[in-house]
Amino acid sequence: MSPLSEVSLITWREVRKTFRSARGGALAAISVLGGGAVSMLFASFDRMTRERLPPGTDLHAVRLQFFSAWYKEPGVGERLADCPYALWMMLIANLWLAPLLVALMTFDAVSGDLQRGTVRFWVVRARRSSCLLGKALGAWVAVLAVSLAMNAIVWAATATIEHMNALYVVGWGLRFFAVVVPVTAAWCAIAVLLGSQLKTPMLSLLTICATFFAFWVVHVAAMVTRRDWLSWAYPNAYDSLFLSADPATIGRGLLGTGLITGLSVTAAVLAFDRRDL
Amino acid sequence: MSQAASLPRNFESAVRARKLTKRFGATMAVDDLTFEVASGAVFGLIGPNGAGKSTTFSMLAGYLRPSYGSVEILGLAPTAVDALRGRVGVLPQDAVLPASDRVGEFLLHMARLQGMVESRVLEGAQRALDDVSGRDWWNERCGNLSHGMAKRVVLAQAFLGDPEVVLLDEPTAGLDPRIAWEIRQSIRAKKGRCSIIISSHNLNELEEICDAAAVIDRGRLVATGSMAELTATHEEIRVKVAPATSGARANLGPVPALRELADVKTVDLDEDRLEIIVRFDPNRADAETIIGRVLKLLLDQQVRISGVTKGRGLEKRVMEIT
Repeated sequence: MSPLSEVSLITWREVRKTFRSARGGALAAISVLGGGAVSMLFASFDRMTRERLPPGTDLHAVRLQFFSAWYKEPGVGERLADCPYALWMMLIANLWLAPLLVALMTFDAVSGDLQRGTVRFWVVRARRSSCLLGKALGAWVAVLAVSLAMNAIVWAATATIEHMNALYVVGWGLRFFAVVVPVTAAWCAIAVLLGSQLKTPMLSLLTICATFFAFWVVHVAAMVTRRDWLSWAYPNAYDSLFLSADPATIGRGLLGTGLITGLSVTAAVLAFDRRDL
Repeated sequence: MSQAASLPRNFESAVRARKLTKRFGATMAVDDLTFEVASGAVFGLIGPNGAGKSTTFSMLAGYLRPSYGSVEILGLAPTAVDALRGRVGVLPQDAVLPASDRVGEFLLHMARLQGMVESRVLEGAQRALDDVSGRDWWNERCGNLSHGMAKRVVLAQAFLGDPEVVLLDEPTAGLDPRIAWEIRQSIRAKKGRCSIIISSHNLNELEEICDAAAVIDRGRLVATGSMAELTATHEEIRVKVAPATSGARANLGPVPALRELADVKTVDLDEDRLEIIVRFDPNRADAETIIGRVLKLLLDQQVRISGVTKGRGLEKRVMEIT
């Protein structure tokens, strides 16, 4: 059997398991319901902001200025100037929530199986590397599925409340969701690397949360001290690259998040391959 | 006793451990273990708690990497998962079934992972569950199974797809006698169809099931051989004597005369247990012949016999050497 088949079998089982578990179901429900509530909030906030603008204000120019300042990149500002604002706010919320969602959905993917010894059923039938990759991929797909469901609600709510063309909303929604995909992959890879070193799920959760927080602190410190190179260690920092219209910039973003993901997964696989189970 | 003494002349080993050593920090869990398991044999790993059985088992299964030495399963390292796929089944001692999986779903997943052809996956999984009398549990969630049921499902996954080598770590630990008996029957039914290694401290169980065994104590191999060699069934018989009447002393007068019997080497008397231990030359007479001679003499002398056994029992033997 090819490693790909092994990974695929383990990935889909992991996804099924996540959504069948009480925790997975609760997280999905909270995310989806939360997404609905948040979308209403974002849409209302957007409408209120627009209503407060003086008559005759060029909304495009205001948003161009705002996004250019936010991303420190006029090209991104130009691109986002006409996007549904509520969807952009959802992207920001998504990026902020991504580490938390990843931590909550992946902390026991490996450590739980190590603690319960369940992993011993898999490793006599599949390569250890496939087991770990399958679990990492399964966790990533589950996190993305929850994010997508949350986004879909926001898209529907935005199109309805704002009376916007559904295709236009979904087009922007997918563009923003595409930013979340590689960023979440990087967070998942880091979480699996940490979780696969520990046999106690609760310790794994604490370690993952502490490490993610440390990443954020380093990012903030890097920004304050203008050490830009260091801020690229923080997966969320790549959002501005992914929102660019320039393919080379997007490529740099993919390379950066791919590097974080690749290095973390490789380290996790190497460590898991050598560890005693 | 020679190592691998249990091996037949046309020897082909299913499992081979050479100088197997495992150290956890300063603790030497397994020290320089060498043994082989003949193809088709049921082999026991025997020893008291903490002797190193489970560590040895885990190295055989590929869960632990030896600090030194090597293991070969069917001529391959246990970590050669792809080459061994579907050829090795393992019952890990403390592994918990995934609680949210249904039993059938779990077995189907295991069958697919071990490379079973898709058209045979369902049939193979159902048959494995049937073999442990668990047909009715197919739709049960693993988390809802009792300890005994879960153990049988774990046994089913170990024998799934008829692997050539099956490793069982404490298959009946913590089970009530009836379930333990049923599990032993399931294992016994597989005897001769694959090589089985059982790690256990239940010596009666091992004596009953195994063809050969290795006795481990404090991480070291203290004896290995066929069950007959370990229990000396081919060189010793034990005759239990009953008192003449209730409350009277047993008639042990004829015991010295037993020493004069042909092919008998020594005769010992355990007066506390009222047991006569007769050792004989296995090259000149078999146990049955000696039993006949001994019983004839004792019965002629009006000695009441309450039992005869061949060998000293695995439990006694292990107590002697560990």
